[in-house]
Amino acid sequence: MYSRLLPRSAARSALQAQNQTPHLIRASPVTAQVSERIRQRRGYATPAEERDLVIIGGGVAGYVAAIKAGQEGLKVACIEKRGSLGGTCLNVGCIPSKSLLNNSHLYHQILHDTKNRGIDVGDVKLNLANMMKAKETSVSSLTKGIEFLFKKNNVEYIKGTGAFADEHTVAVRLQDGSETSVRGKNILIATGSESTPFPGLTIDEKKVITSTGAIALEKVPKKMVVVGGGIIGLEMGSVWCRLGAEVTVVEFLGQIGGPGMDAEISKNIQKTLAKQGMKFMLNTKVVKGDDGAEIVKLDVEAAKGGKAQTLEADVVLVAIGRRPYTANLGLENIGLETDNRGRLVIDSEYRTKLPHIRVIGDCTFGPMLAHKAEEEAVAVIEFITKNYGHVNYGAIPSVMYTHPEVAWVGQNEAELKEAGVKYKVGTFPFSANSRAKTNQDSDGMVKFLADAETDRILGVHIVGPNAGEMIAEGTLALEYGASTEDVGRTSHAHPTLAEAFKEAAMATYGKAIHY
Amino acid sequence: MRSSRALWAQRQPLIKFLGKRHTPKAEEIDHAPHAHPASPSHELPESFASYRGRATQHGPLGGQQQQQQQSTPSQSTSSSRQGAPSGSAAAQTSKPYGAIGGHSGKQLGSVQPKQGEFWDRNELPRRFHRTRWTEAEMEALESGGASIVT
Repeated sequence: MYSRLLPRSAARSALQAQNQTPHLIRASPVTAQVSERIRQRRGYATPAEERDLVIIGGGVAGYVAAIKAGQEGLKVACIEKRGSLGGTCLNVGCIPSKSLLNNSHLYHQILHDTKNRGIDVGDVKLNLANMMKAKETSVSSLTKGIEFLFKKNNVEYIKGTGAFADEHTVAVRLQDGSETSVRGKNILIATGSESTPFPGLTIDEKKVITSTGAIALEKVPKKMVVVGGGIIGLEMGSVWCRLGAEVTVVEFLGQIGGPGMDAEISKNIQKTLAKQGMKFMLNTKVVKGDDGAEIVKLDVEAAKGGKAQTLEADVVLVAIGRRPYTANLGLENIGLETDNRGRLVIDSEYRTKLPHIRVIGDCTFGPMLAHKAEEEAVAVIEFITKNYGHVNYGAIPSVMYTHPEVAWVGQNEAELKEAGVKYKVGTFPFSANSRAKTNQDSDGMVKFLADAETDRILGVHIVGPNAGEMIAEGTLALEYGASTEDVGRTSHAHPTLAEAFKEAAMATYGKAIHY
Repeated sequence: MRSSRALWAQRQPLIKFLGKRHTPKAEEIDHAPHAHPASPSHELPESFASYRGRATQHGPLGGQQQQQQQSTPSQSTSSSRQGAPSGSAAAQTSKPYGAIGGHSGKQLGSVQPKQGEFWDRNELPRRFHRTRWTEAEMEALESGGASIVT
């Protein structure tokens, strides 16, 4: 058995070493290799070698931190229980949903938006199984890509479930059923989040689903009710609406898109989504749910009390938010505490009260966004290796990948009013943008909010085609403390959608040319 | 050209190049715990301060160590005179925590193993018990590994 593991010459050199000087036997790598094999075979418990960094969680926060740590020369191990890296984002979140959003948009466009473009299309049919296969192909290629990056950057990938045994040791239940433990000088918790369940409804991911079930339905439901009109609810509602479901969104607040979305932008996108066939019930709360029969029944009424009614659906998507996931992490073994919303409490350098244990991503403070987690992952490794790191929480963009897309960064009008900041507004509609017109895709607008005195940009809000890409320019401007004049005086290529961005900036400090 | 220059002189762009990136020195950075910028309460729980107060098993934490040295200079000089190791090791030896005999038996509590603790390997599940040596392994060890490479 061992002949395959060691070359024949290995034994000779080991013996030669023994004959010459006893000192060399201890130092010889061959001897060490042999004794290691014997030790493994005997199955003795051996003291775990201490890593510079042990990361619990191989999601966006964890894997980015692991790669960065490897690049910085740390000896790093990353523990992931899912069996594939990338966490919620790559496996059941951002990536698969974007695949479905893109392909369902193409299907919808081919069905409804080709005649005016001079394209006559024959019989168009949906092949849902193939659409799901395309999604799975994208996901698997990306997750395998991360495994490759782990190998490239010398990251040890441990497939199993980690829990704190003590302050420096993580006990791991491996996927093959065995157990091991890893010790780390530093430990990073990046365990992410999970969908918040709705009281009274049992999530079975078939009839009552979360975002995880919404990307894996086997057939297009006839009627779908989305509980929660935030980003996840609207994106997944859009997918199934385009594929033929009758979608009703029930939202407790008076606007869709969540509280961060600017009210004017929210109204704009609601109008556009309504044109696409989605129905909205705002200021409405779900009182009770009954998922016992094949059809799920939801009793809803006005949020401030009022007329009640019962909604029926084949599928109910619960999208009322996400909560930090720290279950079975053994936090009680080391005395780490969470706040009233289950978030692990950290300081400005991501340290818990035990300074060598740090936390990043969804399971701690800040918005639950993959790109925020990525920023934190880089910063936390810099804190460990270089003593400084930085994340600007005031300049983290948010994007909703409906069609048209919605994107924003910085503050919205309601927040500025509440803070008592004097501001000015500049807007530019895509209907006045040459490229949007030629694309026959001109719903939406760009909106700038700037300080009334200094002209410094305070917020950028976009609803329109390619908003998710365009917001990068707004984020850069905000990060660098630019004025709207700085953006307005910067040349933007013609004809591009980005010209709408420039013109909205011009409209803030002066006047737009084309509107 | 001139008109552009004139216009540029009037306008004060907010974006300015700040120069080459400055890397702060370790002593320039304050590592004392501060509330996370995204923390809703904007304050740290009491446990952070109390943990730092108690933390001794890996040596005093950075800031605390400096504070100790500043507040008790006579103590540190006397230990260095006796040839004790400097830094965190010195601070550790000056305290009874962790040292044998540093606590009374009553303070240490019951001698019975806690749940999950075992005195003997044989009390553990069978897979952790000592496995028997085989003749082949013994031979391999004695021959320096040569007998297993055949």
